[in-house]
Amino acid sequence: MTENRFVLAMLAPAAIFLGLLVAYPVALLVFNSFYKVELIAPDVRAWVGLQNYIEVLTSSRVRESALRTVQYTCFALLFEFVFGFCAALLFNAIAEGSRWHRTIFALPLMVPPIVAGLLWRFLLIGDIGILNYGLDSLGLVDNPDAIRWLSDEDVVIYAVSFADIWLTTSFVALVSYAGLTNIPRELLEAARIDGASALKRFWHVTLPMMRPVLAVVVIVRGVDAAKTFDLIWIQTQGGPRHQSEVISMNIYQRMVRYGDLGDASASATLFLLVMILLAVVAYWKIWRPAND
Amino acid sequence: MIERKKSDVGRTVINVFALLLVLSYAVPYVYLLMTALKPAADVQQIPPSFFPNRITLENFRTVLATPSLPAAFANSLMVAVLTTVLSLVLAVPAAYVATQYRRSFTTFFLLFALVTRMVPAVSLGVPLFTLLKSMGLLDTTLGLVLAHTSTAVPLALLLMSAFFEGLPKELEEAARMDGCTRFQAFVKIILPVMRSGIAVTALFSFIASWNEFLYALLLTSEKGKTAPIVIAEYNSVYGLAWGPMTAAAVLYSLPVILITLILQKQIIGGLTFGAVKG
Repeated sequence: MTENRFVLAMLAPAAIFLGLLVAYPVALLVFNSFYKVELIAPDVRAWVGLQNYIEVLTSSRVRESALRTVQYTCFALLFEFVFGFCAALLFNAIAEGSRWHRTIFALPLMVPPIVAGLLWRFLLIGDIGILNYGLDSLGLVDNPDAIRWLSDEDVVIYAVSFADIWLTTSFVALVSYAGLTNIPRELLEAARIDGASALKRFWHVTLPMMRPVLAVVVIVRGVDAAKTFDLIWIQTQGGPRHQSEVISMNIYQRMVRYGDLGDASASATLFLLVMILLAVVAYWKIWRPAND
Repeated sequence: MIERKKSDVGRTVINVFALLLVLSYAVPYVYLLMTALKPAADVQQIPPSFFPNRITLENFRTVLATPSLPAAFANSLMVAVLTTVLSLVLAVPAAYVATQYRRSFTTFFLLFALVTRMVPAVSLGVPLFTLLKSMGLLDTTLGLVLAHTSTAVPLALLLMSAFFEGLPKELEEAARMDGCTRFQAFVKIILPVMRSGIAVTALFSFIASWNEFLYALLLTSEKGKTAPIVIAEYNSVYGLAWGPMTAAAVLYSLPVILITLILQKQIIGGLTFGAVKG
């Protein structure tokens, strides 16, 4: 067998599979987005050109859910990032003694998202949610009913992200910790001998050295947070009054509840394009430096 | 000497602080466990208590007596095992040639896998629904396995190619000198050497499929339902039966937690690895 044939034979099954179950469905998605087509009879379709796209882009509910996805992603990312990076610095400060810390801290990572969602719903829910009782006993709120986390329309999109933050801070911490341990000790030592204070060492040595790792974390976590469905679905199903409906949930509702496959396909295509754009950024930012 | 003492105190303070912080992270899950062990009547008591007044397995018994749940667990297990096997069979050979025999099309292939990882499940779910419907595979184990494998293969490809990166080319050459064909060298020499990497990849595929929710929600309705779907249904069907629901959630999350605690070093390694590479 020639080398080329061997390579092809080994690659072909995976390539054919991905072709049939990723590339073809994506093509079908884009194709459907130009048609008026109902979920109950996906074979009956009428060409409508860009009408689905126009409907999607002019729908206030879609625009709001897209905006909410950005709010959710930014809020979750900010806290995961701050908590996770600080935890990594802490682990790094206690160095080898942090093994057990890291294990306990990683616990949420092993919890299925659906369980994390249920759990946080249980912690936040009115009447029996223990979080408000905790805040009350610490004197931070006036009474256990003070904040209606999951039913207050202004608060809910941030409240549903608590589960996400709890679930994935450890991921940020572990990746950042791996990055911190890779910084050569001599570099920090040299800066110390030159008389740089701890803060200066952090700002001028640690942070610049961590830049690529932090970029990875932000992009990977950002993309994942933007795709979130299960965590929010299990907590609120998008309510109250769609105030926690993110874009993936909006697409799901369009398809399943309203059976409008054409519209759902158009917004799913747009969503996909945005994500691929992020993937391209990820490629330039992450893979290229590693290959140089 | 004094300086040394000071840093010891500082070290202890940091340690205690870190331990408290870390333990606070485990508290929500421990509360879930405590709730599952409470008598059904105490679960929704006001004000809520953290620890059970009396430990009971009542909630677990209720859950196991619900016929839909054991069936859903069996489905979850079946789907996760089949997804793992299928994605390894497809991804391991492909990742091997993509890293050891670089061609422009293998690079393109890996790039395609990377982009695929960015595809939102809902975007792929919409067309997969009509596709599986036309193949008569909606609400079947096989249908869900195909859907899960479509996301597991790109992940496995990226993880495995990260593992294959470090493999010396001489290994295959030596096997070829001894008269092996390329394929024999792959099966007899390379695969055994790579077994820990393959094990990590298998574990990741398994956990991802076990935890998956959106495809299962979209593509199954009765017979093919998996555990997370049935647990989520406790929400509506049984009118917020928190006791049994927390018990079911514990049962569902425990296998993965146990596996991860046992193999934590490999998993955390693979996780950071997979994230940075993929």
